[in-house]
Amino acid sequence: MDVLNELMMGFAEAMTWQNLLFAFVGCLLGTVIGVLPGIGPVAGIALLIPLTLNLDPAGSIIMLCAIFYGTTYGGTITSVLLNTPGEAASAITAIDGYQMTKVGRAGVALTIAAVGSFIGGTIATVGLVLAAKPLGSLGLLIGPPEFFALVVVGISLLVALAGRSMVRALISGALGLLISMIGIDPVMGAPRFTFGMDRLLDGVSFVAVIVGIFGLSEILSYRPGKNQTVTQTPGLRALLPTRTDWKRSTPAFARGTGIGFAMGLIPGMTGSVSSLLSYGAEKKFSKYRNELGRGAIEGVAGPETANNAHANGALIPLFTLGIPASPTIAVLMGAFLQQGLTPGPTLFAEHSTLAWTIIASLFIGNVLLLVLNVPLVGLWTSILKVPYPILAGLILMFMVVGAYTINFSVFDVFVMIIFGLVGLGLRRLDIPLAPMVLTLVLGPLMERSLRESLDISHGSFSIFFDRPITMVLLLIALVIVCSPLLKLRKPAALVAEDPES
Amino acid sequence: MSNDATGSSVPSGRWPLLIGQAVIALIGLYALLGSLKLGLWSALGPGAGFFPAVLGIFLMVLAVLWLLQGRATPTEQTEAESFDGAQVGAVILSLVILAAALPFLGFQLSVFAFLMYHLGFRARIGWVKAVVISLCGSVGVFYLFTTVLHVSLPVATLLPLSMVGI
Repeated sequence: MDVLNELMMGFAEAMTWQNLLFAFVGCLLGTVIGVLPGIGPVAGIALLIPLTLNLDPAGSIIMLCAIFYGTTYGGTITSVLLNTPGEAASAITAIDGYQMTKVGRAGVALTIAAVGSFIGGTIATVGLVLAAKPLGSLGLLIGPPEFFALVVVGISLLVALAGRSMVRALISGALGLLISMIGIDPVMGAPRFTFGMDRLLDGVSFVAVIVGIFGLSEILSYRPGKNQTVTQTPGLRALLPTRTDWKRSTPAFARGTGIGFAMGLIPGMTGSVSSLLSYGAEKKFSKYRNELGRGAIEGVAGPETANNAHANGALIPLFTLGIPASPTIAVLMGAFLQQGLTPGPTLFAEHSTLAWTIIASLFIGNVLLLVLNVPLVGLWTSILKVPYPILAGLILMFMVVGAYTINFSVFDVFVMIIFGLVGLGLRRLDIPLAPMVLTLVLGPLMERSLRESLDISHGSFSIFFDRPITMVLLLIALVIVCSPLLKLRKPAALVAEDPES
Repeated sequence: MSNDATGSSVPSGRWPLLIGQAVIALIGLYALLGSLKLGLWSALGPGAGFFPAVLGIFLMVLAVLWLLQGRATPTEQTEAESFDGAQVGAVILSLVILAAALPFLGFQLSVFAFLMYHLGFRARIGWVKAVVISLCGSVGVFYLFTTVLHVSLPVATLLPLSMVGI
C-alpha cells in the first residue's frame, strides 16, 4: 500500500505542467537522436545534459530519462523504413520490418513496434515499482566491500560482452578508470595527474569526455552512403493493424517483455542482446516462425517489445543499487551525480518524492511516445531527408555548446576535441568504448569503496575474503574475466554496429 | 612497397597497432611513476597513488598481453575503422579555431563563421541556405540558450564587438 501511495504522490508531482513539458520535449529529442545517423544514444544524452542544467533535479532527470527511452523508439523508424537502424537495438527489427515496408505494410510495422515498445516499457516500469523498495532496502545492507565487488562484477560483464578481445576491453576499462582519477584525491586531498593545470583540479568534465569519445569521434569517422535515401511515409490509414496482426503479435509482446526485462537487470547486457534473443525466441516458439525473415509481424513485435522492456528494466539496478547496467545508463547516472543525486538505495531514503516522481514519469513518457510516434512518423522521416553535411555541422555546434556549458569554460571544449581524437584512435585500434564510459562514471565510486573497505580493515585485503557476499561476487568477476572458455561474447552480428560498444 | 622488401619483419598494416600498444604501455608507466610520487600507502591505509599504481601496472601487463596475442595470431582480423584524413583534419582544425575564437569573438560570430565554413565551403549547399542555417545555428541558438533556457554562452570581449553586445 505504501508503494502505491508513494507512486500516486510521484504521479501528482510528475503531472505538473512543467514536468509534463520536460517529458514531452525529452521524448521528442530522444526520438530525433534515435532517428539521426552519426549520433548514438550515449553521446546524444551526454550532449543534451547541459540543456537540463538549470532545471530542478526532477525536471532534469525526467527529461533525460525521456530522451533515453525516446532513442529506443526512434531507432525503429529508420530500421523499418530504410533498413538502416538508427540505433543498434533496432537492428534486428530491420529484417522483417523492412520486408513489410517493401509490401506496403510499413505503417502496420511501425504501429505494432510502438505498441510493443509501450507494453514492454510499461510492464518493465511496473517491475521497477515492485522491486524498488525491497531491493532498495537490500541495498542499504551493502557496505563498501560489497559495493566494490558489485562494481567489479558489472565492469567485468561489460568487458566480457563489449567486443572481440577481452584484453582490449580491459584496456578500455582501465583507461576510463585512470581518466576518472584526474583531479584532487578525495581522501588525501593531493592533486593527481593534473599536469600542473588548476583547471584539472576538479577533474575532467564527464560530459566533455563522453561527447568527445562517443560523439565527435563518431562524426570524424562517419562515412555517409553515396546514395540519397528516399523514404515513403505511410498514410494514417495504413498505420492500422488488422485483427490478425494483433492476434499474432500478442504472444510476441509477452515473450519480448519477459526477455527484455530479465536481460535489463543484468549489468553489461545492452538492448541489442535483448532484441536478438527475442528474435531467437520467435524463431523457436512462434506459430508462424516459417514466415520470419519474410515480413512476419512477430519479427517486429518481439524485438521492439524486448528492446523497450530492457531500457526500462535496466533502470532497476541503477535506482536500487546505484549500478549502471549499460553505457547509456552510465551517462544517465552521470547526470544524476551532476544534479547532486546519488542513485542507489539512499535515493529512496533521502529523496523519496523525487525518486517516485521519476518513476511515475516513466509511465507518462511511455504513453507520450505511443501518442507521438505513430502519427508523427512523417515528421521523423523528414529529418532523414536533411543532407548529412547540414546535420553534421549542427551536431558539431551542439557538441561545442554541450562541452562549454557544463562549466562555462572553453577549456572543456578543448578537452572534448582531445577526447574526440582519443576516441578516433581507440576506434582505429578496435578498442571498444563501452567499458570506458562505465568506468569513467564508476571510477570515483569504485576507488572510494575500495579505500573505505581497506580503511575499515586497517589496510588488510582479507576484508574481501571474510565477507561471503563480497567473496562470491569477486569470484564471479574472476571467472568472467579469466575464463575465455565461457565464450561470453555478444553475437558477432551486433558487435560491429552497436554504438554502445 | 612491402616491408618484406625493406627487410623489416613487421607488416606495414601492423605499425599502427604496435604504436598503439606502445602508447598504452607508456600511459601505464606514466601512471605508475606518478603514483609512486603521490605515495602508495599511509598510516590511514591506501594512499592517493595506490589505485592509479595498480591501474598503471595493469595497463602495462595488458599492453604486453595484447602484443603477445598479436604475435601468436599474426593474421588476426580486426575490424578497426578507417578514416578520411582530410575530413578529420578539417573538422578538428575548425573546432580548435572555434574554441580559440569563442572568448574573443563571442558565440554568435564564431559559430556563424564555423557553420558557414562547414555548410558553405565544405558541403556546398548553396550560399543562401548556408547563411540562413548559420544564422539560426548561431544567433538563434544563442538566444534559445540565454533567453529561454537561461544558460549563458560566451559574448565578444573584443572592441567594437563587445560594445554592440554580440
